[in-house]
Amino acid sequence: MICDKLETRQLITLGADGILVRATYHDVPRNTTGSGSADRKIGVLFLNPLSTPRTLIGDSAVYWASSFAAQGYPSLRIDLPGLGDSYGEVAKDLVTFINNAGFAAIAAAKVKEFSERFGLAGVVVYGHCAGATTAIYAASACEECKGLIITDPYFNVANMLTPKLSPGMVDWARRTKVGEVLRAAYARLREARKNRSNGTLPGNANVNLVTHWKQLVSSGLPILVFKSGEPATLGSSKLRAGTFDYLEHITSFAGQKSQLSLHTIEGTNHSFADRLGRATIREHAEAWLHKHFPSEVAEKRSLIVQ
Amino acid sequence: MVEFTQVQQYPESVLAERAGYFPVPGAHLYTVLHEVEAPLARVLLIGPFASERHTSYRSWLQWARYLAARRIEVVRFDYRGVGESTGVFTDMSFRSWVDDIERLSAWLREREENAPLIMHGLEMGGLLAAKAFHNGEADALVLWSAPVNANKVLRSTLQRWIGPQQLLKREEDRRPPSHYFRLLDEGQSVEVDGYEWTPELWRESLSFGLPGAMVPPNDTAASYRRPVRIVQLGKSAAPLVLGGLLHGFEESKDFSWLFAPNYEWIASSLGIPLEAA
Repeated sequence: MICDKLETRQLITLGADGILVRATYHDVPRNTTGSGSADRKIGVLFLNPLSTPRTLIGDSAVYWASSFAAQGYPSLRIDLPGLGDSYGEVAKDLVTFINNAGFAAIAAAKVKEFSERFGLAGVVVYGHCAGATTAIYAASACEECKGLIITDPYFNVANMLTPKLSPGMVDWARRTKVGEVLRAAYARLREARKNRSNGTLPGNANVNLVTHWKQLVSSGLPILVFKSGEPATLGSSKLRAGTFDYLEHITSFAGQKSQLSLHTIEGTNHSFADRLGRATIREHAEAWLHKHFPSEVAEKRSLIVQ
Repeated sequence: MVEFTQVQQYPESVLAERAGYFPVPGAHLYTVLHEVEAPLARVLLIGPFASERHTSYRSWLQWARYLAARRIEVVRFDYRGVGESTGVFTDMSFRSWVDDIERLSAWLREREENAPLIMHGLEMGGLLAAKAFHNGEADALVLWSAPVNANKVLRSTLQRWIGPQQLLKREEDRRPPSHYFRLLDEGQSVEVDGYEWTPELWRESLSFGLPGAMVPPNDTAASYRRPVRIVQLGKSAAPLVLGGLLHGFEESKDFSWLFAPNYEWIASSLGIPLEAA
C-alpha cells in the first residue's frame, strides 16, 4: 500500500560512503531522453540551508526540483547528516560549522554518489544562504560538479540573517533605545563601506570561502547567483554580506573565463518562497540550464517554435 | 566539532525508519514509519501547520526517535499539499486533513501485532488530532499547545510572517495584519510563507475548533472514557513551538525534560511497561 516511488518522484537513501542521507529524487518524464550529451543527463542537487528540511521554506525546492526534472534535469533534494530526516549529530553552532566547510566533504561525496548512481554527465549544485556556502566548498572539491546555482550567498563569518529575526525582535529594534543605537551603528557601517579602498576584504570576511569562490569563478564554472531585493527598513540586503559587495569585488577581476550570471529579484524575500521568487528563479534557472547544458526538451521546444 | 568523515554507527531504530508515500484520494502523503519489533503501542504524530513545519521538524523527529527507541512504533507524515506530500495546498481544507488522519489511523490499526494507538497532535495538529479522536479514532490522545480554533493558528502565523516582510517594504507599502485578515474576509487569497491561503480555508478556520468536551474546565478524559493529556508548551519548548525570539537557531536542543514525562504518561495510562532506550 505504501510505496517509495511515484511516477516522477522517489524516496531514496544515499549511503555508499557509509553515511546515510535521506533524499527525494525527481525523475525526468518518460518522454524526455536527456540533457547534456546524447543520453547522459545533467542533474541538479539541492542542499539544506541551515536546519531547514530538504523541501526548503514554503516547499519551494519541491517546486524547483519538479520543474527542472520536467525540463530534462533529474533533481535530488538531500538532507545532510543531522538535518531533516537524516540521522546525525548537529553542531551546536551550525552557522559557524557551515562557514568552516563542515558539510563540504559530505556534500561533495553525495554529489559524486548522485552522479554515479543515476549515470549522470555531471551535477549542478543548488544552495540557498548557508546552503550556498556548502555548495561553494563542495563544488571546489568534486569534479562531478559542473555548475552552481546559489541564492543570497554571504561571505562573512558572522552571518546576519535578518529575515530570521522574529517580529518581536524587529519590533524591539524599532522601539527601544538599544535598537536605535544598533540601527545608527549600521548606518555608520554603511558609511564606512564607502570609504573602504577597492580590493580589500572587510575584517569579518570568510577568507577561506572567498578564496574558494574566486577559484570557482576564475575556473569558468557556470555559476548563477540570485539575490533578493533590498530591505527598505534596514537599508540593504548587503547587511547579510557584512556591508561589502563580495560579488562585485570578485567579478571585477574574474577574468575572461568567468561564466558568472547575477540576478537581483526585487520584491521577493530572503526565502524566495513567494510566487514572485519561485517563478523568477524557475524561469532564469531553466534558461541558464538550457544555455549551459542543453536538454532535448529545450531543443524540441525550439523546433516547435520554428 | 562534528565530523562526518567516518562510517557512522546508526542505532537500529534509525535504520528501521521507512519513508514512503501513502495513497489518499488524488494525492500521496509523505509518511515515515519508525518501525519497531513487537511494539508496545503505536503513535500517530500530527504536526503543526504548514508554515511551522520547517522550524519544528528536528524536534518533532527527535520525539519520534525517542519513542521508537522505547518500543513505541511511530508514524509521522506531511499534510496533503504540504512538504514532501503531493496534492495542491489551495484545494485543501481542515476537514480533508482530518480525513487523511483517519485513513492513516485505520492503516495503523490494520498492521500486524495489535497495539494501542495514541494520537499526538502539535499546535494545529492538535486540533486535527482532537477531531479524529472525537470521531472515535485512537485509544489515547496527547495534545501539545492545541489552539481553541484553527483561526487562531492562521492569525498568529500571519502575524509572525508579516514582521520580516515589512522590512522589505517602504513605509507607504506596509500593511498591518488586519489588512490581510480583511482581504481573506472579503474572499481574496493571501500568500503567507509560500502557501496560498484561500478564503475557503480562512472561513472554515473560524468554525473549526476543539470539541466542546476538550475545552476547559471540562474533564476530557471522563467525557471520552479514554486517556487524554493536554499540555500547553511555553517558550522554552521553541523551536518545537514558536515563541522564542530567535527560534530556528536552536538546532540541537535537549528535550528530555519534555519527552520523559510524556512518555511516562503514555506508558502508565495504557498500562505498558517502561522501556529503557
